[in-house]
Amino acid sequence: RKELDIAIGGMTCASCVNSIEGGMKKVEGIYNASVTLTTGRGRFVFNPKLITPEKIAEEVEDMGFDASVIG
Amino acid sequence: MASQTQEFFVDMTCEGCSGAVTRILEKQKANGVNSFQIDLPNKKVFIDSSLPVEDLLATLQKSKKEVKYIGPKA
Ligand SMILES: [Cu+2]
Ligand SMILES: [Cu+2]
Repeated sequence: RKELDIAIGGMTCASCVNSIEGGMKKVEGIYNASVTLTTGRGRFVFNPKLITPEKIAEEVEDMGFDASVIG
Repeated sequence: MASQTQEFFVDMTCEGCSGAVTRILEKQKANGVNSFQIDLPNKKVFIDSSLPVEDLLATLQKSKKEVKYIGPKA
């Protein structure tokens, strides 16, 4: 298990947060997703054998938000 | 295939959602989406494209929101 922080742009309210958290939790290899609107960040707990940080950022972007890996 | 405007329901609740759908569709402008319109209050998305409906559905489903095909725009 590893943790990853991603800067997320384009969220405007709690329902954006919920849709990212809910959507990302369904992605294979991601155990948990917690997103904070005020800081524009998401923390993801993932299995590095199943998914890479780049792929996680790509999933967030595919959902229509800006994403860049912080680390 | 001729270009046609298709109507979809997408469960958007705020400007962040419609912004997300906008970004997803903008990226598809290189891949056969000619233009699109988003009606946030009614949770509708209209897409003008010659792509098959299944492809457009797959694109919208990237948002991981609830998506339904309604039909060709009258
Ligand atoms: Cu929102
Ligand atoms: Cu929203």
